[in-house]
Amino acid sequence: VSNVNGVTFTIVVVLFLVVTGVGFAAARWRRGGTMMHLDEWGLGGRGFGTFVTWFLLGGDLYTAYTFIAVPALVFGSGSIGFYAVAYTIMVFPIVFIFLPRLWSVSRVHGYITPADFIRGRYGSRGLALAAAFTGILALMPYIALQLVGIQAVLTVMGVGASSSNSFVKDLPLFIAFLVLAVFTYVSGLRAPALIAFVKDTLIYLFVLVAVFYIPTRLGGWSHIFDTAQAHFASISPATKKPLGTFVPTSASLGSTQFDFASLALGSAVALFLYPHSITGTLAAKRRSVVKRNMIYLPMYSLLLALIALFGYMAVADPVTAANVKRTGNAQLAVPYLFQHMFPSWFTGIAFAGIIIGALVPAAIMSIAAANLFTRNVYTEFIQPDASPARQTRLSQWVSLVVKVGALLFAVELPHTFSINLQLLGGIWILQLAPMLIGGLFTRWFHRWALLAGWAAGMIFGTIAAYNVASPTASHWAGSSDIEFGHTIYIGISAVILNLVIAVALTFVLKAVRAPAGTDETLPHQYTADPEAAPAPAPAGVGAEPGG
Amino acid sequence: MTQASTRSRSAIAAHPVISAVIAILVAVSILLPLITPIYARTGPRLGDFPFFYWYLLIVMPVISLFLWIAAQLQKRITSEDVQ
Repeated sequence: VSNVNGVTFTIVVVLFLVVTGVGFAAARWRRGGTMMHLDEWGLGGRGFGTFVTWFLLGGDLYTAYTFIAVPALVFGSGSIGFYAVAYTIMVFPIVFIFLPRLWSVSRVHGYITPADFIRGRYGSRGLALAAAFTGILALMPYIALQLVGIQAVLTVMGVGASSSNSFVKDLPLFIAFLVLAVFTYVSGLRAPALIAFVKDTLIYLFVLVAVFYIPTRLGGWSHIFDTAQAHFASISPATKKPLGTFVPTSASLGSTQFDFASLALGSAVALFLYPHSITGTLAAKRRSVVKRNMIYLPMYSLLLALIALFGYMAVADPVTAANVKRTGNAQLAVPYLFQHMFPSWFTGIAFAGIIIGALVPAAIMSIAAANLFTRNVYTEFIQPDASPARQTRLSQWVSLVVKVGALLFAVELPHTFSINLQLLGGIWILQLAPMLIGGLFTRWFHRWALLAGWAAGMIFGTIAAYNVASPTASHWAGSSDIEFGHTIYIGISAVILNLVIAVALTFVLKAVRAPAGTDETLPHQYTADPEAAPAPAPAGVGAEPGG
Repeated sequence: MTQASTRSRSAIAAHPVISAVIAILVAVSILLPLITPIYARTGPRLGDFPFFYWYLLIVMPVISLFLWIAAQLQKRITSEDVQ
């Protein structure tokens, strides 16, 4: 710990303590009747307006993925990393189509998780179990990505990294994680919602300062772009190919355009299938709050584009580029860039912003995974008459267990590009698209056909991702492979397989008149806004607060 | 209840033109960033930014605007509370 900068370290610790205090205080913020109800602990009382929802969803969507993983990919491979920018632009028109419908039907029936909806729509506990399993599984690598992001910052700070003992080396990470786990346990969704304000303030501050200040130190934007263009065109001695692309290339040069578009589309569709994004959405007070957020959230995408450009700044700054090369870890590009460019006190603010920016979504994700387990596995199959207090207690514990699972992903999978952790989760969660998005618009699909399609997509996607190799790792090294002569995101090819099987089997099952299951939802409930025109109280479990 | 159901279903039938405009606005918003060949090029530059990069920055507020218009139109035909 000899090379730790005292000023940077102190500021990070102070801001971390402030956030911890806010996290515990959040339990009292806008408090309803009792905390021991999933609507309270898991959905913040379902009473968030446009402003809070914007911060909550923003805190949810812009994570260590944004600050560490995307610039790392841009630093290492160039323009392909900007698929993340295209993705965060197209995600809002895509979810504009289906998310308000999910909000409405969930509010009418008191659904807390996406699997609740699947169960109600298709009358199938098996399909709901598949959805819950997928959600929990897909969240683990995504939470793991947050850990990798925190670790990148801590490494550059020099905290623990100099020790050869792996326990001491990871101790700061464990401490940060423990604090996160405890305030999530106590305050539920209110904690990340309130911390999101602090986090976004810090992030806007350092991103805007960085975007205006760093280019002046590096000879302006034109020098940054020119350096990057020359860098990625140069031939790698190891592979005899260019190091990367400055803009996605067309077919004649080995197309990256198709890969780019499929990564963007797959990630965009996947985002609001993740249980944690749905949790953030369902916490909104009104249907119009959801819609308004689809209009305002693209402002965050602007930020993401600027952050992705940090990857090029790291290429253009010789000191940062040399530091990253020495450690062989592209994840360190942004932390090294800030450390070299900023005075140490401002580096502290930026580092604290990144760490808190990883903790907030990790908290929301673990709450969402816990809700899935409690609602769709425990009360469905193990103890149907569990009281709301018992359900909440169980969710609190599961939120801890899920974080441990995430630690395993963080330790076991290769880190060449941590963005693959998020893309791996995306491959799995995309397999819910036919049953969830399809189910919001039509009851045509047969539940058994959807289950078969889901199973095929999951198996194909997992095997395909396992088989992706790179010069440094023999398995799990990427998220795209070649199908029919095109490089394509595995999530897209798997969900196409899933959909084809679901459609084909639906025809077969309808022909043999297999039982379709009961549908507890009604068409008008998909556009309802219960507070505007109160709907009759549903009979389902844990419906409305006080119901 | 039945009133609500007929209202939302007939909204599209009663306002085919507005419904089509909404559909086009949303579709274009998805296609602008999805069709990579539109913008996978370096020129013309805007300031110091190559085309690929400033296109992505400019398309964002445009889509925000399209979705806002779409929401306003939806509000008009369904009397839904969207600001």
